[in-house]
Amino acid sequence: MKLTALRLHNVKRFGGHGVAIEGIGDGVNVLTAANEHGKSTAFEALHALFFQPHTSAGKSVQLLKPYSGGNPLVEADIAAADGQFRLTKQFYTGKRAEVRDLGTGRLIAQADEAEAFIGELTRGGSAGPAGLLWVRQGMTGIEQRSKGDEESDKRVRETLLSSVQGEVEALTGGRRMAEILSACEEELFKLVTATLRPKAGGRYAGAIEERDRLASDEVRLASEVTTLREALDKRRVARMRLTELEQPDEQKGRKDAIAAAEAAFEAAKSHSEALKAAEAEATLARHHAEKAATDLAGFTAALEQAGRLAQQRVETQTRRDQAVSQRAMAAAESDQALAAVTTAETEEREHRALLTRLDAAMQARDAADRLAQLRGQLERAEAARLSVEQAEAALAVLIIAPAAIAQLQTVELDLVRLRAAQEATLPTLRMDYAAGGEGTITAGGVPVDGGADVGFAHSLRLDIAGVGALTLRSNRPAEADRGIEQAIGKRDKLLDALGVESLAAALQRQAEAQQKSAALDLARQRLADLAPQGLAALQAEIARWGDLGAVDLVLKGDPAALRVVHATLAQTIDMARNLARERQPALAQATTAAVAAEARLAVIVAEIATLDSQLGPVAERGARQAALTEARIRLQQAHAAAEAHAAALRPKAHDLVAAEATLRRLRSVAAAADQEAGQLRVTLADLNGNITARADSAVEEVWQETNEALAKASADVARFESEVAVLTRLRAGLIAARSSARDLYLKPVVSELLPLLGLLFDDISIQFDEDTLLLQSVRRNGLDEQVERLSGGMREQLSVLTRLAFASLLARDGRPAPVILDDALVYSDDDRIERMFNALHQQAREQQILVFSCRQRAFAKLGGNVLQMQPWTPTA
Amino acid sequence: MQLQLPARWALCEAMFRFLHSSDLHLGKRFGNFPDDLRGRLREARHGAIGRLAAQALANGANTILLAGDTFDTETPTPAILRQALAEMGRHASLTWIMLPGNHDSLLADQLWDAARAAAPANVVLAVTTAPIDLAPDITVLPAPCTARRPGRDLTDWMSSAATPEGTLRIGLAHGAIQQFSEDTAASDVIAPNRATLAGLDYLALGDWHGQIAVNERTWYSGTPEPDRFKHDRPGSALLVTLDGAGAPPQVSAVETASFTWRDLSLELLSGEDGVMALETLLPIAVDRRQTLLRVMANGRTRLPARTALLAALDQIAPDFAHLEVNADGLATDADAADLDRIDRSGALRDAANALLLESQDAARSEAEREIANAALVRLFTYCEAIAP
Repeated sequence: MKLTALRLHNVKRFGGHGVAIEGIGDGVNVLTAANEHGKSTAFEALHALFFQPHTSAGKSVQLLKPYSGGNPLVEADIAAADGQFRLTKQFYTGKRAEVRDLGTGRLIAQADEAEAFIGELTRGGSAGPAGLLWVRQGMTGIEQRSKGDEESDKRVRETLLSSVQGEVEALTGGRRMAEILSACEEELFKLVTATLRPKAGGRYAGAIEERDRLASDEVRLASEVTTLREALDKRRVARMRLTELEQPDEQKGRKDAIAAAEAAFEAAKSHSEALKAAEAEATLARHHAEKAATDLAGFTAALEQAGRLAQQRVETQTRRDQAVSQRAMAAAESDQALAAVTTAETEEREHRALLTRLDAAMQARDAADRLAQLRGQLERAEAARLSVEQAEAALAVLIIAPAAIAQLQTVELDLVRLRAAQEATLPTLRMDYAAGGEGTITAGGVPVDGGADVGFAHSLRLDIAGVGALTLRSNRPAEADRGIEQAIGKRDKLLDALGVESLAAALQRQAEAQQKSAALDLARQRLADLAPQGLAALQAEIARWGDLGAVDLVLKGDPAALRVVHATLAQTIDMARNLARERQPALAQATTAAVAAEARLAVIVAEIATLDSQLGPVAERGARQAALTEARIRLQQAHAAAEAHAAALRPKAHDLVAAEATLRRLRSVAAAADQEAGQLRVTLADLNGNITARADSAVEEVWQETNEALAKASADVARFESEVAVLTRLRAGLIAARSSARDLYLKPVVSELLPLLGLLFDDISIQFDEDTLLLQSVRRNGLDEQVERLSGGMREQLSVLTRLAFASLLARDGRPAPVILDDALVYSDDDRIERMFNALHQQAREQQILVFSCRQRAFAKLGGNVLQMQPWTPTA
Repeated sequence: MQLQLPARWALCEAMFRFLHSSDLHLGKRFGNFPDDLRGRLREARHGAIGRLAAQALANGANTILLAGDTFDTETPTPAILRQALAEMGRHASLTWIMLPGNHDSLLADQLWDAARAAAPANVVLAVTTAPIDLAPDITVLPAPCTARRPGRDLTDWMSSAATPEGTLRIGLAHGAIQQFSEDTAASDVIAPNRATLAGLDYLALGDWHGQIAVNERTWYSGTPEPDRFKHDRPGSALLVTLDGAGAPPQVSAVETASFTWRDLSLELLSGEDGVMALETLLPIAVDRRQTLLRVMANGRTRLPARTALLAALDQIAPDFAHLEVNADGLATDADAADLDRIDRSGALRDAANALLLESQDAARSEAEREIANAALVRLFTYCEAIAP
């Protein structure tokens, strides 16, 4: 869409007349005029035409009214894709809206249809931005959005973006969106936290707390009510039971029953006692009667026994006397026999003693003989021993070992052989004397024998009488005689050892030793014969015999005769002993009989004594028997009487046990009733206390109240939940809508904006965060600059650029829209404005731009299509 | 039971007039109301005794039959009980006959013990199924509730209770009648024709809080002081006149209520002005301070109308003792023009469109649709609040 002309009549300062701006072309169109010329009025009228329904009487429409009154009329010619149209709107009186085809002049639409037509132009579809893009003096879209006191970093960083975003949102209703969202969030976050949990201290959390508190109270109270009702039920049951127990009839019935049972029990008890007494009496009488009978029977029997015993004692006494005399006779006979034995034995003993002494004397004599013999033997033995000792000593000197002799003999033999050999090798000399010369030659003073060979060993000096001394030398080697010397040494050593001078002496000694040895053997034999057990044994025997010989030797009579007498006496003893033994049984028998008789008598006597003590004096016995008899009769009668009494009582005996059991049972029933009643009273007291406490605190009422309050609190919570759900939903919807609007417009706009920024600020680079679309940094002259320090001029320029970017976006979308700038660059310096103009011109190749400005001089440099305001009067 | 009654009763042998009431529910706490109102409601229940007495005296009745549920719980506070009995005793010329109901059944022996102990001479506790002779020819046959749910027809005994010929027989009972029964077992209810079966001249019933005639001789008096919105009738008692045995009773209602509980049903059509409808329906003459009002809005409404209606209700709420608004049944319609009031285009309009679509999306759950709808209404409200 493009604007080609704008006309207004009766608008603000143009009361009663109108102005027209005709010939608005493509590209940049500039309307510069001094202030109060009506530029802004034209701007507002254009805005009203597009955005205010003709029926509106709203504030923005009221502002259009001229000071002098009248009905504002606005008309615009546009060129759209499908033709050229004239849009007309009149407000207030005669309000109308029309769309005519400029080509045909035909009325295309009016009233609401015209509004719809216009709406379609500006809307570009329900979701699109307005079809006109506006920038007003000083209106950068920054200030309003940065309301609130939270100047956080994010807010600061937002500022620049906001100038972009704000413009976009200004076109898309975003400011209201922000307010509504903030209202919605304000309400929502009063109730919940950022994570949508009930906010502590908030009304929602309060309601939940209240509900939970009431719910727990309700549970507690319900249980108390249950307890109370149970207590009431229990009390009712207890009371019923107590009433039952305490009913007078019941109580009286129990008392009467006990009284009756007590009476029955007492009667049974007294009868039972009487019976017991009668029984005891009867038993006693029976015992008495029985004793009397026993006494009488005993007395009578004793009496009879006494009689019998008296007779027996007489007989027994006689028998005992006989036995005693018999025993005496037997004793006498026995004594006699024993005396004979004693006599014989005495005599025999005497004889035996005599005989013994005689034997002893005989033995002593033999011993003396023997002693003498032994002593002689000892003497000889000692002599023999002496000779043995002597022989032994002699032999010890002489004795030579046969081996030594044999060795000596061997050595001797060797020596002979050696000498013989030496003899054979020695030089010899022979002197054959001239007759008489014999003995003139001597060797060592000894005359040398003539006519015989004389050998010599080493040298020989022959003294030849009268002649001189002739020395002969053999000159034999020194070792020639060594063997002989050795043999001689060996022989001499053996001889020394044997203590003899020669082998012959040794052999002689050996022979002597043999002789002595034989003599020794003989001496020894003799000693052995004399003292075969050795001398000591012999001496001991001599000592023994010496002792035996010390007995006094008295020898009287002839032992043989004595032995005969002794034998006779022994025989006599045997005979006497036999006789005595024959007598012994008779004595024993008599003694036994006597003892038996005596014992029998003693028994009888004792019995009689016992009976006597039992029976008392004989004189009183008759009277006593009579008394006993009388007592028996009397006591038997008494027993009969007592028994009869008891027998009479017996059948009438009551069952005491049963009566007692009955009584006990009835008493326990009554006691149980009393106890139960007591227990019930206690229970009731407890229950009363409980119930009264609960009832007085009206627990049921409180419970119901709590229930109702709980219902209300739950409803409150539900209401808050629903409120939260609604607010959450609304917030989500708003945020989603805003975010999609951002996605739809903001991102593309930002990407359109970046090259424009490059046009205007060659020394600045601006970075946007791709995700948050927040400005990341502004870098100018190589320095990072704080965003909030951006000047008003820069903000304003950014704002214009944003619109241009937006318009460029729409144009690219095939929906070109005019950009209208009303005194939009008031803060910008000349240099910047020129750059801005360049930017505008660059953009204007693709779209229509209307610039209203009061800065005539500055904007002269803008160039473009210069517009004029002309007086205009509506045709109709 | 033979009562010592004033001698003048004998004079009016042919005619007997009494007040029939029930369900005073003394001590009820109204936990679901704000504290201050709670106290007033509670006090109003106690006040019903005095108002009953006043009506009896004004209408020449000497006897007041209370057909059960005089007390709300089995264990009212001593203050509730004593003050109630004392208030009855204060009107010494009246005889009060108090029947145990299901809320204050005979199981509540704590209550009845205390009542026996504190009852003034003119209060008769009808706690046994024995005839109460008010006069030689006037007998009340009470059927006290033995338990919360007795499980049998307690009025059964009235049919076999013999009275001398010509005696006025008045039944007094508490419980449901078969016709009203919805879920209780048949054995639990009072035979609706008990009056005929037992030859009663009148059967005074309690339990149902609304006033209703079961038949010519059988009535529920309803509560003298309503305690809920359910019955939507002013609290009243029944003035009953019996012109002799067998004669049809003359029954008329007398007002006794202090508070009015009103249910106001707003049935709206889309495009209808809810505020106008409300103003038309709002009771003008009533004492709003003594009125608890529940507005049930149903039907359909446009977005702005709904906002306006709720604002109007907010406006009048302080006039009333209590105002409860239930607009759950009020569907909200929104058309393009309504949405234009939010925004003609842009993100806000997108959000509104999305919410509207969601609220009409049959694929979504009822709850989701309602939330979406409510969110839309809220968005609308915000937009109205924030100048465009």
